[in-house]
Amino acid sequence: MRILVVDDAAFVRARVSRLLSAEGHTVEEADNGATAVAKYPEFRPDVVLMDITMPVMNGIAAVRELMKIDSEANVIMCTALGQRAMVLEAIKAGAKDFIVKPFKNDRVIAAIDKLGKENG
Amino acid sequence: MLKASFINPFITAASDVLESECKTDASRGQMHMDSTRATSSEVTAIVGVTGDLQGIVLYGMSERTAKAVAAAMSDMQVPFFDTMAESAIAELGNMITGLATTGLESEGYQCQLTPPTMVTGRGVIISTIDIEHLVIPMKTKLGSVDINVALRQTNV
Repeated sequence: MRILVVDDAAFVRARVSRLLSAEGHTVEEADNGATAVAKYPEFRPDVVLMDITMPVMNGIAAVRELMKIDSEANVIMCTALGQRAMVLEAIKAGAKDFIVKPFKNDRVIAAIDKLGKENG
Repeated sequence: MLKASFINPFITAASDVLESECKTDASRGQMHMDSTRATSSEVTAIVGVTGDLQGIVLYGMSERTAKAVAAAMSDMQVPFFDTMAESAIAELGNMITGLATTGLESEGYQCQLTPPTMVTGRGVIISTIDIEHLVIPMKTKLGSVDINVALRQTNV
């Protein structure tokens, strides 16, 4: 699958990208929501892993923008605990699932596989 | 006034995150109060807290410990404290504080986080530490991670 990893933390992007590349996925990175929105039309990811708290454009605003581009976009929110209200807002905006940091590798892979299966 | 109900969630969260992310046991050292406004560690991650509690939490460590923690978190060699290592330490602070807020929530305090800020070097004045804070040293095989909790209850 083609996966867009969106997080302002370089460490998180590198770690998740390494994990997903090792699983055979094609990965593109973005360091904020605006960059993700700009990359989406060309990269056409099957799944977007989206952080919530980011500079320039946060994850919730980015989900809203992505839904304007592709109402079927598969977005998984990645969040630190303590952001429950923001996760609910992102789900309302169109996100399909969420993963809580600290990440468990198998949870990341399972969430992506689940969305992949649901979308054939 | 710092209460035990403010502090215990940070000790539990730090132990859990250090164990899961850095694959190391962590034990609490001798806690003490501090009123200085300057950083005392070579590397410090600062996470803001808002809501029913307000203030900041600092995660301080030596550069050597920071490199070891970053290496353990990334499963890679970290010979230099570069931007990637800095990002890892910021994320460590983010994760511990995030996990601690769930413990605070069960104590009746609803809190939100602000994105982490990194400070490199001792003696940097943190102007927002205007309250006495508790230092919790967490001892690990990678070195000590000192958690400075500077929180006050709002609306009391």
